Amino acid sequence: MSTKHTKAASAFLLNKSRAQFLNQSIWYVREKRDKVAMQLAEWEELRELSSSIKCHTVTHLDTYLEQFASQAETNGVIVHWAKDANEHNKIVYDILQQHGAKKLVKSKSMLTEECHLNNYLINKGIDVVETDLGERILQLMQVAPSHIVMPAIHLKRQQVGKLFEDKLGSEPGNSDPTYLTRVARLHLRNEFMTADAGLTGANFGVAATGDVVVCTNEGNADMSTSLPPLHIVSMGIEKVIPDYRSLAVFTRLLARSATGQPSTTYTSHFRKARPGCEMHIVLVDNGRSDILANPQHWETLKCLRCGACMNTCPVYRRSGGYSYTYFIPGPIGINLGMLRSPRAYSDNVSACSLCCSCDNVCPAKINLSEQIYSWRQGLDAIHKADPMKKIISSGLKYLYGHPTLYYMGLKYAPLINRLPRNILYNRLNAWGKGRELPTFARKSFSEMWKKGIVR
Amino acid sequence: MNSKESILSNIRKNSCADYEMPDIAVAAVRYDDSLQQFIDMTKAVGGNAHVVQVDEDINDLIRSYYPEAVNIVSNLPEVTIATGNPDVVAKPQDLDGTDVAVVRGEIGVAENGCVWIPQAVKEKAVYFIAEYLVILLSADKIVNNMHEAYDMLQFSDYGFGTFISGPSKTADIEQALVVGAQSACGVTVLILNHR
Repeated sequence: MSTKHTKAASAFLLNKSRAQFLNQSIWYVREKRDKVAMQLAEWEELRELSSSIKCHTVTHLDTYLEQFASQAETNGVIVHWAKDANEHNKIVYDILQQHGAKKLVKSKSMLTEECHLNNYLINKGIDVVETDLGERILQLMQVAPSHIVMPAIHLKRQQVGKLFEDKLGSEPGNSDPTYLTRVARLHLRNEFMTADAGLTGANFGVAATGDVVVCTNEGNADMSTSLPPLHIVSMGIEKVIPDYRSLAVFTRLLARSATGQPSTTYTSHFRKARPGCEMHIVLVDNGRSDILANPQHWETLKCLRCGACMNTCPVYRRSGGYSYTYFIPGPIGINLGMLRSPRAYSDNVSACSLCCSCDNVCPAKINLSEQIYSWRQGLDAIHKADPMKKIISSGLKYLYGHPTLYYMGLKYAPLINRLPRNILYNRLNAWGKGRELPTFARKSFSEMWKKGIVR
Repeated sequence: MNSKESILSNIRKNSCADYEMPDIAVAAVRYDDSLQQFIDMTKAVGGNAHVVQVDEDINDLIRSYYPEAVNIVSNLPEVTIATGNPDVVAKPQDLDGTDVAVVRGEIGVAENGCVWIPQAVKEKAVYFIAEYLVILLSADKIVNNMHEAYDMLQFSDYGFGTFISGPSKTADIEQALVVGAQSACGVTVLILNHR
């Protein structure tokens, strides 16, 4: 009973101190989230409102997208529409080419990860520089993010110190986070100063005003767009929201849910290009409009990409982002992966203990665990059900359908308690891998009930 | 059919539910002393806030906070200590090397220490490129929460505005909080006209 996720997780857990470090780092963020959430009496009311606003917006996406695009165009912004990742990448490259841009500074965007934009541009000769510290670290290491908000959460300071020593010429042996952040600041300042274009994602697109709202702590989205003459926004179509009254609800939930901060340091509203400069918005579908047709899973489009579901997930915390086969890990990633391709990403649906904690922290109240459960029900239909589990299920079905056999089994079950471990825990007992069998009671409840010992 | 039409028609074809827009009337947090709450939150997010007294001069205060600052940039007439004006630079890159930028905030938010700054300079880079940022904020513009802030939000013709809550920061290396990532290393909010 192994999936790619369980195999990768087993490998990850071999290094116990690293596994413990990740669990503790992420649990710390979850605790901070609880603390700030509990400071607001209206917290649950905000979650409910956020869910309702998203339900409304996502089910009226055509109206809000048209309003957003026309408002942005009125503001002088050039709006593009991309059906898929390829079209998005091509549009971005064409804009860069029209401006003769060679160097592009980028703030964090999971959408561009989804579209594999960086490699596309690099292959065409563009110098692409990630400017979020975590993203820059990973780019220099040539690896992908392991978390959607804290991309380098799995790394130790010594790894970053060594990387900066090799790539940025930092002091050998110095892995102090403040020192390393200063080194990155100087390095990135130079990149901002010499960039020809800046690209940001979008946390929200406000239909009523055409504003693109970008939230960061580092100020890198603002540095990326204040210096170069060209600003490109990559925005998923589900990021549009109606108006400022809605935005107030989301800005109160986003940072509190993501990192336990009352707000991100910067919540920037980009409405127009700088004088003499250009601003472009690329609205990207890439499968989102198909998700709308899925009655059980369309609510994944409500996601704010805060990462709270990962931080709370006991499986994510103990297996790390790289154990998942989809580029977004954790509960939301399991669902989005299945929506992308059930056959390609079904290995992740087992990475859930159905504890439902994610449902209870999600600021958009997405029923994440229910959705994962429903994907599991559909595994057999796509020939991805585990054969061992199928045998066990049909065996149990037979047992429960035959009361005589069941009661006989119950009577003799206590004998199992006395069997030696090597008979009980071998590769035939997949259930016993990593967990202990229960001790079977000498007398079963039904036996005691029949004899009147309990009532 | 172009991509826009194709995306929109796919959305129309696929939408399988219809939800009404909720009534957004939140019984949101209010504070007995929103000024004090704003000051506390500004400090909690790594910034500094000071209520300017009638006998204090903002130029003296700025000098005392940043005694070593050489390049002080502002387009506000009351900031006589300024050595440069962000409205007259030829290009935003010229603002690199700014030690302190002094700007005006229009709304302070007590619940999270955010200050709304609608762009009021030629190059918005000044808000982010300076080592330290000083924000002048009138005490009567402090509101309780983001709902109140968005209800009164104003833009200038520049078409850019930002909420700033304390200095630039990161915890990307081992969750260790470091102040001064890519933008301002320190933020001081000077609260004016307090009665």
